[in-house]
Amino acid sequence: MKRIAAIIGGALRTWFRSKSTLFWTLAFPILLMLLFGAIFSVSEDPRFDFYVQNQDIVDGVPSPLSDTFVGMLNETGVLNLKMIDPVENTEDYIDENGVEMMIQIPEGFHQSCILQNATVVLKTVPPEVDTSAATVRGIVEQIVEIFNTITTGQNPPKVVTVQLESMGSEKYRFIDYFVPGLIGMTLMTTGIFGAVGWNTRNRELGILKKLATTPLSKLEWIVGVVLFELVMCAISTGIILAVGVLIFDLRVLPSIYSILLIVAGAITFPGMGMVIARFVKETDSADAAANAITFPMMFLSGSFFPLEMMPEFLREIAKVLPLTYLNNGLRDSMVYGNAQSALTNTAIVLIVGIAFIIIGSLITSWRQE
Amino acid sequence: MSKEAVITVDSLVKKYKDVTAVNGVSFTVNRGEVFSFVGPNGAGKTTTVEILVCLRDLTAGKATVLGFDVSSRKGQQQIRKRVGVLPQDFNTFDLLTVKENLNYYKKMYDIGLDINKLIKLVNLEDKTKTLYKNLSGGLKKRVAIAITLVNDPDIVFLDEPTTGLDPKARRDVWDLIAGLRDQGKTIFLTTHYMDEAEVLSDRVVIISYGKIIADGTPNELILKHGGKTTLIVEDGGKEAHEVLKKSFPKARLDNGDVLVPIHNKSDLPDAVMSLNENKAKFAELIVRRPNLEDVFLNLTGKKIVDGELN
Repeated sequence: MKRIAAIIGGALRTWFRSKSTLFWTLAFPILLMLLFGAIFSVSEDPRFDFYVQNQDIVDGVPSPLSDTFVGMLNETGVLNLKMIDPVENTEDYIDENGVEMMIQIPEGFHQSCILQNATVVLKTVPPEVDTSAATVRGIVEQIVEIFNTITTGQNPPKVVTVQLESMGSEKYRFIDYFVPGLIGMTLMTTGIFGAVGWNTRNRELGILKKLATTPLSKLEWIVGVVLFELVMCAISTGIILAVGVLIFDLRVLPSIYSILLIVAGAITFPGMGMVIARFVKETDSADAAANAITFPMMFLSGSFFPLEMMPEFLREIAKVLPLTYLNNGLRDSMVYGNAQSALTNTAIVLIVGIAFIIIGSLITSWRQE
Repeated sequence: MSKEAVITVDSLVKKYKDVTAVNGVSFTVNRGEVFSFVGPNGAGKTTTVEILVCLRDLTAGKATVLGFDVSSRKGQQQIRKRVGVLPQDFNTFDLLTVKENLNYYKKMYDIGLDINKLIKLVNLEDKTKTLYKNLSGGLKKRVAIAITLVNDPDIVFLDEPTTGLDPKARRDVWDLIAGLRDQGKTIFLTTHYMDEAEVLSDRVVIISYGKIIADGTPNELILKHGGKTTLIVEDGGKEAHEVLKKSFPKARLDNGDVLVPIHNKSDLPDAVMSLNENKAKFAELIVRRPNLEDVFLNLTGKKIVDGELN
């Protein structure tokens, strides 16, 4: 234990005193988050995507009052109306299209208006999850007030009332989707670059050879390196979450599953780095090898955008990459609250991690060949 | 008192595919002696050391260190606890201080020396908080030697400890090794510097192409293989050569200097007298004793220059 603690302590001191390593471990993910966060904040359409399902159809056309109501919604200029077929199953449509805000005008709306007991159903994600929902609710209620005034004159009884319904929060903001991916990417780069670089550099300096002449075993060395990377990952993740909360009002926070996943990821990628380091002799080649592995994996594993956006053959490749399961698991646990799926992904990442550690332990050269 | 052998090597062979790096080497190292393994690069020095410190497997033969078989797993564990090794071209963590580096390696052992005493031993008291990367080459080597001593080893293996150092730094390392010798440490030194081996060693083994070609104390080797003491008549030229040839038929002209082999006590005054009587001109008279370089030259017909055969 004393030896493992010495390995971790020495590596931490070295890390803290190396400006470039500090930058890549801490500042780079933050810069990436600030950059992506800023880009997607600025380019966001100022209008809100708003789905309308008008089920009050008479002789194949919308009833006059329902049509007037939809026209008033459209005239606000801040709602980007998207019409849903009147016969479409609403729940399925919401699930398939990631609908965040919609209004349902029920069959008989025109007639109910005349009887002054019409209702429209406004479905949004909870306003505490997305402030846009609160804004849209306010806009729709204003339109209903105006509609009531126009149709019945001053001080009218309420012709139309709004029935509010909250939907699941499947569609989060970009930053909420992005942060778990960024954590996954950071675990991967920290783990792989850390393990490959640390091993290669120490082999080049003769430190590994020297340590092999002491009572330190190869397993103790590997455990020390992996635990050091685990500490690094915990620091990086903590900083990413802190910046996310403080600057981007991040709402997704780690659960027990995501903590398990972070630990599993922090084991997997140093293990993978150990395997790569076995085949790399010089420090320069180490960086190239680590880049060759991490760069494609970063983009193919859904760190920055959903896998559904990629062509089918790339999605097949993504299925064999451990980062895919780490990203999916982190989003399942942090964003979607899907414990079952998070657990499955945790198990996959953990098994892959243990496999890499075992392979790395077996093939890492300790004595000379 | 009989000498205690702490290293025994018997018919050691190491092959890499079809290359034989060490070819049937046998020797012993006794407790408390400075043992030098001397030879050019590629002679098999480092391979032999790496087998003795359990970094490599041997192909054939037998070797023991402190009574433990280097081929047995249990033996290797015991050997690692009780030897200190300075690998060739070793550098430690750049971004740790001198003291942090020493503490790091000390924690690899169950027992060890007091770090402050060790720092004093290698004269680095004023550098304890200096990062390793900010030290000169000579000071870095001192740190490396201190690291080798953290577990108070019974045997210290130093593989080419002065390669790449400037003359002053080399002398400092020599002083350090001499200090360890005075403390009674057994030191296994590999080097291609003949002067280093001659100054520091109690015993020298010369290895070439994986085979031992000489084994003995520096004086024994010089007496046996070094040749005769030579009088050098610097810038004597043809005139001095003609004068000396009459009494010393084996005197020869070498690049303007006249070289006269000295066989017995009277040869030297006789040669000087001849030069004076004939008023031969020369720049300086130098008496040169043979050394280990001559031993190697006489045994192999080649010199070692910068570690390579020449």
